[in-house]
Amino acid sequence: MKTALIVFRKELLDTVRDRRTIVAMVVVPLLLFPLLFTIMGSVMSAQEKKEEEKRLAVALVDRGNAQAFGQALGELEGFDLRLDLSSASDEELQELLRQEELDGAYVFDQDFDVQVEALKAGRVRLYYKSTEGDDSIARRRLLEPLEDFEQRLLTQRFQRLELDQAIVEAVDAQESNVASSQEIVGTLLGGVLPYFFVIFCFTGCMQPAIDLGAGEKERGTLETLLASPAGRLQILAGKFGVIVLTGLLAAMVSMLGLYVGFRRAGQLPEKVSEGVQRILGLESILMIFSLLVPLTVFLGGVMLSLSLFAKSFKEAQSTISPLMVVVIVPAFVGMLPGVELSATTALIPILNVSLAAKNIMSGEMSTWLLAETYASLAVLAIASLAFTARWFDRESVIFR
Amino acid sequence: MIEVRNLTKTFKLNRRQRREKGKSSIDAVSDVGFICRPGRVFTLLGPNGAGKTTTLRIIATMMRPTSGSVSVNGFDVAKQSRQVRSCLGFLTGATRLYDRLTPYEVIEYYGRLFEMEPEILKTRRDRLFEMLDITPFAKQRIGKLSTGMKQKVSIVRTIIHDPQVVVFDEPTSGLDVVTSRNIIKLIRECREEGKTVIFSTHIMGEVSMLSDDLAIIHDGRLLYSGTYSEFKDKMQARSLEDEFIRLVEEE
Repeated sequence: MKTALIVFRKELLDTVRDRRTIVAMVVVPLLLFPLLFTIMGSVMSAQEKKEEEKRLAVALVDRGNAQAFGQALGELEGFDLRLDLSSASDEELQELLRQEELDGAYVFDQDFDVQVEALKAGRVRLYYKSTEGDDSIARRRLLEPLEDFEQRLLTQRFQRLELDQAIVEAVDAQESNVASSQEIVGTLLGGVLPYFFVIFCFTGCMQPAIDLGAGEKERGTLETLLASPAGRLQILAGKFGVIVLTGLLAAMVSMLGLYVGFRRAGQLPEKVSEGVQRILGLESILMIFSLLVPLTVFLGGVMLSLSLFAKSFKEAQSTISPLMVVVIVPAFVGMLPGVELSATTALIPILNVSLAAKNIMSGEMSTWLLAETYASLAVLAIASLAFTARWFDRESVIFR
Repeated sequence: MIEVRNLTKTFKLNRRQRREKGKSSIDAVSDVGFICRPGRVFTLLGPNGAGKTTTLRIIATMMRPTSGSVSVNGFDVAKQSRQVRSCLGFLTGATRLYDRLTPYEVIEYYGRLFEMEPEILKTRRDRLFEMLDITPFAKQRIGKLSTGMKQKVSIVRTIIHDPQVVVFDEPTSGLDVVTSRNIIKLIRECREEGKTVIFSTHIMGEVSMLSDDLAIIHDGRLLYSGTYSEFKDKMQARSLEDEFIRLVEEE
């Protein structure tokens, strides 16, 4: 144990002095979330502002109908009414929209006023181009004048019929969402965050694993270390300890970065803010962290084994880097809606961590499934450790 | 003292090698035997791929013998590997150090691995640093030192625990003349201190400069083992190099 600690302390000192490891272990995880939130927030609000302030070029083909609408549209701020298109055909308007020379077109039916007068629905076709579906700001802005116009017509109808407008409201639906803030935010973020934690675990382990295995072989220092009284298991324990520690540190720092990111994100809705506070509470963090421990041991073992097998630093890099894909895929699957932690998914490494972390965040954890996840991860971690120990003892690996 | 008896080391070949060589395994060292005595320098001379490094790695317990036995100061390399390593120093010409550590930290690390008492470690380290003029750069990162400075640190690393047996595997390989001279000096000092020294080389000049005892190894087999003076007396060729080539060709 004492010798393993000596190796551990030396490897840790060597590792923390490696700029590449510090970048992967501290700088990227710490800055990613604050940067992500800041950049995403400012890009999104800038884009929204731009969309809101953009002058919309619109055409109105009223065919002599709805004079009030045409008048209101002409007076609206932020709208440029293209009078030259007042008798354009639908095909011409659609073509202009496709070419983005026009943002919207209102086309009233020939008998619009007649239908309205007969207390029926007059038809208006609204043309626009949006790749964002029904949520686009342009669509909302184009619909607003129409909705105002409809409201005005309805008011006129009720007055004409001497009716109270409230009679059309037969049901007063009052919604109340009983989901807790933790559940809402947990579901919102639960899919994404474990993905990042797993990735940071991987990147945090990678650099030290390469350096302490293949790097030491390449430098020739492994030979002198093997010629010292330190046993192979002790050497391995020291190296392994550093690899696992850096992986966990990277994940921890990313959690810290996430917290800082949320704090810096500014005004969050009260419910979101409350949910975030709960997710980033000590209990959730400790539970997620406890899942990452066996996962990091497993990943560390795989990476160190590959690194020890490689003849050089470069060979180790080119062998270990593609492993990232193997890690990303199950972590990504965990992000997908509808994929839940079950007796089967709890056995799939990485995916189980991703899903269990998601459940922990939303506060919907099943004790049995969590226990199954821990058990399967523990088995993998032990198997990985045992394999690495045997691997390190093989001459054909060390002196390849 | 190092005693090597009927040492054989067999390596299994991979699929490609099996196809090329037409066999499933190869003897890197075959039935080799010699004795290295304290206060004498034993030279293992042979061309590249002769089996020198494999033999030395077995002595240093990095590899296990397939058959035969090796003992170092009475400890069996296969059964008492830890005791063997405790009394052994190991240096190769290809060994580098940890670039991000200082000479001070590297020596501290190895001293602790060799379970030296802190006071003894400090005293011996300071003395060796003074002797080899390392003190001025002892707290600089190794990555910033010259090759010569690094080699001096490697020398201290090898002998910090005052080993009774020192193994040098082609220690001057790839080094400049000045740095090589430091190594030659170290080998001589080890002999004067009564240590058992074994070193491998393919440089004839080093053999004549340092050897008390000599073994010539080729294709894993010993062609000669005895004292260097006897070897010189029995030489049929005019020079050591010619005699070495004659023996290899005869084999």
